[in-house]
Amino acid sequence: MAVTAPPSTSAPGGPTAPGGAAGPGAPAGQPPAEPPRPPHTWQVLTRATRAWFEGTPGRLRVAGIATVLACLLFGVFAFVAASTRAGALADARADATQLVRVQTIHTNLVSADANLTNAFLVGGLEPPAARTAYQDGIATAAKTLADASGNNTSDAATLAEVNDVVTQYTGLVESARANNRLGYPLGAAYLREATNLLRSDALPQLETLGRSVQDRIDHAYSASADAAAWLVAGLLVALVVLIVAQVWLAGRTRRLFNLPLVAATAIVLVVGIVLAGVMWWAQDKAKNTRSDAYFSTLALTTARADAFDAKSSESLTLIARGQGQPYEQRFQNEADNAQAILARASGGGNDDIAAAAKAFQDYRTVHKQIRAKDDAGDWDAAVALATGSGPDTANAAFQKFNDASGQALQHTSTQLRRDLDDAHGPLPVFAWIALVAGIAAAVAAGWGISVRMREYR
Amino acid sequence: MKRVVLGALAVTVLVAGCSAGSTPQLPSIPPPSSSSAPSSSAPPPRSDCDDNIHESRVRSYAPGSPLPHGDRAGQTLARIRNSGKIKVGVSADNLLFGYRNPITGQLEGFDIDVVNQIAKEIFGSTTGHIEYVVENFAQRIPDLQSGRVDLVADIMTINCPRWAQIAFSSEYFQAGQQVLVRMNAPYQKIEDLNRAKAKVCTAQGSTGSENLKKYAQIRPALVDNISDCMVLFQQGSVDGIISDNTVVAGFHAQDPYARIAGPQITDEPYGLGIPAKNVDFVQYINGLLQKWRENGFLRDTYAKWLPPPVASPPPAVYGRALPS
Repeated sequence: MAVTAPPSTSAPGGPTAPGGAAGPGAPAGQPPAEPPRPPHTWQVLTRATRAWFEGTPGRLRVAGIATVLACLLFGVFAFVAASTRAGALADARADATQLVRVQTIHTNLVSADANLTNAFLVGGLEPPAARTAYQDGIATAAKTLADASGNNTSDAATLAEVNDVVTQYTGLVESARANNRLGYPLGAAYLREATNLLRSDALPQLETLGRSVQDRIDHAYSASADAAAWLVAGLLVALVVLIVAQVWLAGRTRRLFNLPLVAATAIVLVVGIVLAGVMWWAQDKAKNTRSDAYFSTLALTTARADAFDAKSSESLTLIARGQGQPYEQRFQNEADNAQAILARASGGGNDDIAAAAKAFQDYRTVHKQIRAKDDAGDWDAAVALATGSGPDTANAAFQKFNDASGQALQHTSTQLRRDLDDAHGPLPVFAWIALVAGIAAAVAAGWGISVRMREYR
Repeated sequence: MKRVVLGALAVTVLVAGCSAGSTPQLPSIPPPSSSSAPSSSAPPPRSDCDDNIHESRVRSYAPGSPLPHGDRAGQTLARIRNSGKIKVGVSADNLLFGYRNPITGQLEGFDIDVVNQIAKEIFGSTTGHIEYVVENFAQRIPDLQSGRVDLVADIMTINCPRWAQIAFSSEYFQAGQQVLVRMNAPYQKIEDLNRAKAKVCTAQGSTGSENLKKYAQIRPALVDNISDCMVLFQQGSVDGIISDNTVVAGFHAQDPYARIAGPQITDEPYGLGIPAKNVDFVQYINGLLQKWRENGFLRDTYAKWLPPPVASPPPAVYGRALPS
């Protein structure tokens, strides 16, 4: 910039450049014998600085620095605001995906268990379909466990524990199966052990993890909301400084407008408002997703896990044969939970969820018939209804729920990811635009002041 | 005196009736004129019970002997017959005695055969007349006390503390506790396990858990279902399992890497458990058991389920004092 050599009106004038104290312009006639006390560097500097800011040119310099800094500050703060929100929304998306993964693990484990216990109830060779469903459940859970721990290192420890339990669980299940194949009743003990292990050492851990991922999502949302403060602060400071500078300048120079400064103000204002709009839109979109797709996804995964758990309990009640009251109690609790969640989630007019809720109710009707038969002492008929695959059986009814809720979950979780992607989408670009705009405004402001400075030469 | 004679007479009548026809009809006994009639002679009905005297602990009610005041012979039987179902507590994890055959999904075993035979006697057939309640050992007495079941056929040891809560049929099998260890373990008898401070598993509420208390050094592991012990045993979490030889033999049959260590260490007479107040039903069941001792059904069932040599069913001992 051309502000380095102003006409010096002030007396002690001096070195302009820092460190120029012992400059080459030292008076030649003086003998070096008595060197003038060499002024301390800082003294020289303060003197120079004071001189630099004295008088109108000095004030102009102050105005120049202030406006340039204000514009840069706007650029940086706007950049921080947009990228913080972008980062927070990216975190929310990553954690939402992670939450779906954790819930997928949970659901697949209980669904594998439900198929297993149901197959056991049939006796003899397990139906190939049930065996396949069990293996699919375990395979999906294992694969998702690997995905989930690869995607978040802080979850990895818990997931490793769960993985360990799943390994033990499948080992016990295979022991149960081997004993069953030999016709040994010991298989039942292994099955009980396996089921209990899953419920004591894997599912609660997954539930805790799911809650902590939900907390992280909450945290990301509030970080995203807080990001707006940066933009507001940057915009306010920049506008105030620019306007004050221009008002002062107008009074000093009798020129109403300094065009470069006006341009700088316009850049800040327009970019600030546009960015505010984009950021508001992103947050609004994210907020809507939360009360829509996120809420539905969460509801569906929880309801599905509860429903599969209830299905297991139904089989365990029959296996316990006459001593199944605790399992039936568990069934009622889990089924009530699932139904309440589905009812709440389908209140938003989501047809998929409404269909799933209806299918679950139908399944519960069949469950009631099973209980009625067993309670009347007709265990064999109850088992036939619980394990058969005909159109009116519990398995058929539950399959309808599984299909409907699985489809609904597919929709909502895709929607959730897409919405958060959309919300995040334009923010990084706008962050850079804002930074560049801030720099451009700073250049304009500096130029505008320097034009006035030149009039003082 | 008069009552005893009457009772003995009734036995003869009943046995005769049983061997003659298929549906036993209990002779109706006139209720005693006084509920606290003194009984003093030949087989003295003892109000006390001594677990150290075999005859004392297995003593049951003779078929046709007097009933508590106000009871009628056959009233429990009539109720069961009217309901069309007998509710029986059994175990489902005890190979040989009561287990769920994983291949058929049906309950099988010695005790199940006995239950089937009882149903056949009561209803003429088994199908649809038995409601099984699968229980672990600790649930048996509460279920009898609450009336959840009419009968428990689940290798139940007759002893005095239990007589205070429920009633038993006459002894139908004589068992004893044994210890199961791993094939290569250095234990030859339970004392070895005690000396080595070994961890030994048994079921809660079983006589095994009482017996373990006599071995102070053994670290007990108590589980709900006795077959859970076998899971722990095969996983190496416990060194041994103590239970009745009937159970241990079943485990051994399912695991050739196990070994039965030492002789029977206790006397475990088995009886069918019946609610204490259903004295008439105890008498009825005892009549059936008496018949099966004589017609060879019990012995045949032993031969069907248990490895040779086939033992003889223990004789019945009667004359227990009525519950107050």
